[in-house]
Amino acid sequence: MIYSSELIKGTLKTIILKLLRDQGRMYGYEITQKVKDLTAGKIQLTEGALYPSLHALEAEGILTTETEYIGKRMRKYYSLSKAGSTLSQEKVSEFADFIQTMKFLLDIKTDLA
Amino acid sequence: MYSLSEQQIAFILDDIRRNGVELEDLQLNLLDHICCIIEQELEENGDFGQFYSATVKKFYKSNLREIEEETKSLLIYKNYYTMKKIMLGSGIVSVSLLTMGLILKFLHLPGAAVGVVLGIGLLSLVFMPLMFTLKIREKSATRDKVLIVLGAVSAITLSLGVLFKIMFWPGANVLSLFSLALLLLVFLPFYFFTGIRNADTKINTIVSSILILTGGGLFLTLVRSPAGSRIMSVQVTREYLRNETLLDQEKLYIESAVQPRVNQIPVLAMGNKIYLRCEELKAAILEWETGFNTIGEDFEERDILLGDGRIDKFFRNNEEMARRIAELKSSLTQYNESNRGVSKKGVLPVQSILLDAYQIRTSEALNALVQIQLYLLHNERVLAMAG
Repeated sequence: MIYSSELIKGTLKTIILKLLRDQGRMYGYEITQKVKDLTAGKIQLTEGALYPSLHALEAEGILTTETEYIGKRMRKYYSLSKAGSTLSQEKVSEFADFIQTMKFLLDIKTDLA
Repeated sequence: MYSLSEQQIAFILDDIRRNGVELEDLQLNLLDHICCIIEQELEENGDFGQFYSATVKKFYKSNLREIEEETKSLLIYKNYYTMKKIMLGSGIVSVSLLTMGLILKFLHLPGAAVGVVLGIGLLSLVFMPLMFTLKIREKSATRDKVLIVLGAVSAITLSLGVLFKIMFWPGANVLSLFSLALLLLVFLPFYFFTGIRNADTKINTIVSSILILTGGGLFLTLVRSPAGSRIMSVQVTREYLRNETLLDQEKLYIESAVQPRVNQIPVLAMGNKIYLRCEELKAAILEWETGFNTIGEDFEERDILLGDGRIDKFFRNNEEMARRIAELKSSLTQYNESNRGVSKKGVLPVQSILLDAYQIRTSEALNALVQIQLYLLHNERVLAMAG
């Protein structure tokens, strides 16, 4: 099952921030591949959602960038700024809390076994 | 693993640009992304053209420009919050500055003008434009947007008009009248007739329209009418002429009665010089205010009237006038000094508002000069007659 884009949309920022916190610096394609690997293909970030978010986060000062030449083309690496690290933690704990609430709200029984 | 040639990379970049992606950053990101996919997923002898178009299609729903549009809208969304923050910040700062300026003004302490000017300036040029820009964004109908622009222009010009008025800056009346005309003759009818048609906004529209009319009306009650201005100018001019007549008569009398003795008393010669200086100054001020250097009884028919002109405007950037006033001041000090030794009853020191405060009307300055001359004549009479 691949999750719907509505579900991804609300969590995209959190996913980006958490990945960058763990990995240090990453470029766009790397992020999509990493997410695909970690979720066994269940979450596939679209380019149409990922890049606008990356640009907006950069403009907000949450992400910093460095560019490197790969042969003739440029590659933009993203990493967390100081504000970004704090936000990353906040976003993850907010989402953890959200999951608890949703579990309760939707009455989802966790399979403990 | 496929190896991309330089031409293929150039082709991809060109294709991205052709499809409406204009942000250079985004172009380069997409280029790298597509190259990565091709290098990772296309077999060494695969069909580049076909694979490329299949890959790019997965990026969008109807066209590639969507990514650019989404990026731009996210960037604007971020600006929206910055603008809101600046709006609130500038609002708080300007209201504080204005309050501080007004308190200082009423306590008559220095810094009042700075507070008021910065306060109203910030309010009209930062807070209000941002507030209206944000408001426009909330509305979708063109009619609502036009209404907000009209309201914004009248509100900004109105507050700048008041600022210009209290600072005696040129253009204050034009600004205020323009803003009121726009508010009452364009904005209000437009607002009223659009709002009253809708049942939901009907009551609100009527109440707001009454408030706008009352506000504009209250503002206009503070404005002197052109006819009122003329009546006042005629009165002020007549008042000055009465003073001049009194001075002339006094001068004639004293000249005939005591003049022969003037040369024997040095301080009287000094007084005469100052008297002539005052005449010159009056002529200069009159000429600046009315275009004529004397005023006769027929001033009303000839329309030679003393208006609201302020003497500091005349003296500012006019070194000649500043020098003449300074000279008058020093010779009066000398004159008063000489008289201090005289132990005659009735000799008065000559002082004047003109020498301390420049922010007075031309009519007040003219009357002040006449007053100096009357004092000189009075002293002359006391000194010459008793001496």
